[in-house]
Amino acid sequence: MIIETAENAMQKLFGLTAEQVQRVLDTATRGEQGKKQGVFCDIYFQAGTAQGLTFDQGVLKNTSSSTTSGAGVRVVVGDKTGYSHTGHVNATNLMQCAKVARAITEHASGSANVALDATNSVGHNLYPVLNSPVDIALQEKIDLLRKIDKEVRLYDPRIQNVTVTIACESYTIIIVNSLEQIFADVRPLVRISVSCLAEENGRKETGSSGGGGRFEFSVLAEDKMWQEHAHIAAKMAIDLLASTPAPAGVMDVVLGSGWPGVLIHEAVGHGLEGDFNRMGTSAFSSLMGEAVASPLVTVIDDGTMADRRGSLNFDDEGTATGRTVLIENGVLKNYLQDKKNAGLMKAGVTGNGRRQDYRYAPIPRMTNTFMAGGESTPDEIIASVKYGLYAANFGGGQVDITNGNFTFSAVGAYLIENGKITRTVKGATLIGNGPKALHNVTMVGNDLSLDRGIGTCGKAGQGVPVGVGMPTIRINGVTVGGSQ
Amino acid sequence: MASSKIASKSSAKNSLIPIAEFIIQEGKRLGATECDVRISTSNSVDTGVRLGEVETLEGARSRGLQFEAYVGKKSASTSTSDLRRPALTELVRNTIAMANASEEDPFAGLPEAKYLAKEIPDLGLTDGAIAKISTEKKIQMALAAESAARGFDKRITNSRGASFTDWSGTTVYANSHGFIGTYSSTHCSISAAVVASQDDQMQVGGWSSGALSFSKLESPEEVGITAAKRALRMLGAKKVKSQVVPVVFDPLMAAQLLAQFVGATAGSHVYRNSSFLAGKIDQMVASKFVTIVDDPLMIGGLGSRPYDGEGLPALRRTLVENGKLNTYLLSSYSARKLSTTPNSGSTGNLYFEPGSLSQQEIIASVGTGLFLTSVSGPGFNVVTGDYSRGASGLWIENGELTFPVEGITIAGNMLEMFNNIDAIGNDLIFRSSTVSPTIKIASMMVAGD
Repeated sequence: MIIETAENAMQKLFGLTAEQVQRVLDTATRGEQGKKQGVFCDIYFQAGTAQGLTFDQGVLKNTSSSTTSGAGVRVVVGDKTGYSHTGHVNATNLMQCAKVARAITEHASGSANVALDATNSVGHNLYPVLNSPVDIALQEKIDLLRKIDKEVRLYDPRIQNVTVTIACESYTIIIVNSLEQIFADVRPLVRISVSCLAEENGRKETGSSGGGGRFEFSVLAEDKMWQEHAHIAAKMAIDLLASTPAPAGVMDVVLGSGWPGVLIHEAVGHGLEGDFNRMGTSAFSSLMGEAVASPLVTVIDDGTMADRRGSLNFDDEGTATGRTVLIENGVLKNYLQDKKNAGLMKAGVTGNGRRQDYRYAPIPRMTNTFMAGGESTPDEIIASVKYGLYAANFGGGQVDITNGNFTFSAVGAYLIENGKITRTVKGATLIGNGPKALHNVTMVGNDLSLDRGIGTCGKAGQGVPVGVGMPTIRINGVTVGGSQ
Repeated sequence: MASSKIASKSSAKNSLIPIAEFIIQEGKRLGATECDVRISTSNSVDTGVRLGEVETLEGARSRGLQFEAYVGKKSASTSTSDLRRPALTELVRNTIAMANASEEDPFAGLPEAKYLAKEIPDLGLTDGAIAKISTEKKIQMALAAESAARGFDKRITNSRGASFTDWSGTTVYANSHGFIGTYSSTHCSISAAVVASQDDQMQVGGWSSGALSFSKLESPEEVGITAAKRALRMLGAKKVKSQVVPVVFDPLMAAQLLAQFVGATAGSHVYRNSSFLAGKIDQMVASKFVTIVDDPLMIGGLGSRPYDGEGLPALRRTLVENGKLNTYLLSSYSARKLSTTPNSGSTGNLYFEPGSLSQQEIIASVGTGLFLTSVSGPGFNVVTGDYSRGASGLWIENGELTFPVEGITIAGNMLEMFNNIDAIGNDLIFRSSTVSPTIKIASMMVAGD
């Protein structure tokens, strides 16, 4: 929900008038000799609550609530950034932040003037949530936790432990800048996580699932939604009880649709963020316009998908989020930009300037990043593999931006022999190189789906909610880090 | 009920103590049967440079408060950065209302008063010199680190930047048993990361030195040169064939492995039976070379603390002794779940007891194997101990480091890996809160080409 009267919100939440905020902006942009050219300032206000409930071993273990009310003042001049924040917002403290952030201008060199995007973007309305998830009665949430716990246990008597958490948050964001712009948004986010442990003859395995997004709590509480998570988690744990060690070495791999899109996030997404490419420290830095993947591969970052965990009405600099084609039919097309890096690279902003919270300056980040669907059916893809791995459940991943090596971690997989799934194998790390791995994509499925809404991406110490997605795909020649 | 109002001398005038006392008093007044509060404040400055120029200056004063209320066996916790008294009374009221709306957990509660710390040792965790360093000096140190790295070799072609960061903070913990403790600490660090290139390959190498006192930092030049060497030694990295070989973990990698292993001794994993170390007390869980110590009482230690997060005393303990598992890490909650006494659910300074061999001697003892310098990805399952991670490092042939390797994985099971530790180095340096000397695991699966 975009607040029409951002100034009213600032008055109500922080007790600040437009004049007081303007004085902070003026102080931040004014050097010793009056207003300097090319100095940009924004103030990012954040107020709201995050709530968490954990149901563990059959009892409600934690009920917690965290209230945030703070602001960060940023001064940008050329490629230089000054930043200061306060968790106690008033005119005096903001003015102090402005003075700390302004110190960067003393280190600006003469050639530093860079015009930052000043488009008065009209944000989207992607998550018009009527009831703040934080305000839903605790009892409703406890009832849901108990139902999920029961559902997981009912799946199989070998399920021993179940842990279920519900996380709800709602933050009001107000961004004011020295380009005389003001933006405000209310950002709700809900999530369920389910994990369980199955035990048989002394052997233990775990399963997990979860999901959510920027939508009403009542959607999370719909039967089909939570039952799906309960069943996925339970099935994973039970299946793994029969698993054998994963093979080690190079083989052809089929990745399932949805969350395995973490491959895209690690293998190409991070490497296409504007900051690394401005600095020339990404493995993709010199590859714009070149083929970095097989012609079957098209990769898109889209922050405008309704209800999605990775979506935003506008980014954390006030730029409307967009749909950016990163790779089209194998060819590298675009980077993901925030205002600063777009300005320095003389590229357009893409609505990807994001921050974890008011304590951090924004940097280029992904939103919902996925590979577009293709022509093959998932069955055809599995049937095409003589000997390989079918990996449908993943943990997380990691990438070295500079050399392009990425890993992502299968939480259990299935062996394919002569086109048929034959048995379950334990988890293993898969490793590859960003600019090379996607050349080996030989089949792309027609079953594109996004993950269920559980991803958090970490970069430079900042975690932000993201989405990933992919159809079923086949990649040849992947190194699988099993133990046999 | 013990009343142990204790504070180390240096922070006796701490302004957070009256706030803590106020909130505990409000908690009792408004209906909490038990309650506790943690308050912390900090100042930090981050000075970043890149390519010889200042790039970022960040400064912040942060503060936060976390309050937990118990109403019988029901509980709730809340946190805020608003420390004004009317807001705190409101916070207490809301927390107790949340607790009342919550459900009973028979194991919920504060530690029993008898288990709380009775005194707060002064562990020398602050250095007044850090606050006196000028911004100009910080910039100069960051520039010197980057410049040393860039000037070290002409194949260093780019930089991710260098920084000097300093932090000072004070924390208070108080609970309704009458415990109130506080201490302050400082920290500073210099770091640098540069890019080496050759042919079509780029490799980043970084290094960082951190300490509680300024005089213990490595020089900016040392930090820069180490970063450059770490980038350069990876140039030309390639894959190797899949094979089973010994893996030598450098001290940073061994420390990561140690943290994962000790994570499996957490009471919360043990009472859920979700740890590969559950049920293994007094059993051999590692080779006889392995002794693991947790010492929160080291003077000036990066992980030192005079009491833990719930007021339990800091005690030196040997978690694993010559391969035998002595104890789990037990918070008061975990201890109640397991019907035993708490001993603190967190670690202070955690390390492998060093052995007698130098790193060079350990490498020389390997015919063909991997000297591991970097791992990536999650790749560790605490329930089963299964371990599989992306890896890079240097290949060992005939006892000598030869060429760099990347794009490979290492895999095994943590219990087997620890049983296969057959050498521990003498090169233990307390550069972080969890540290290790070089260690060698006799055999692991390396997957490559």
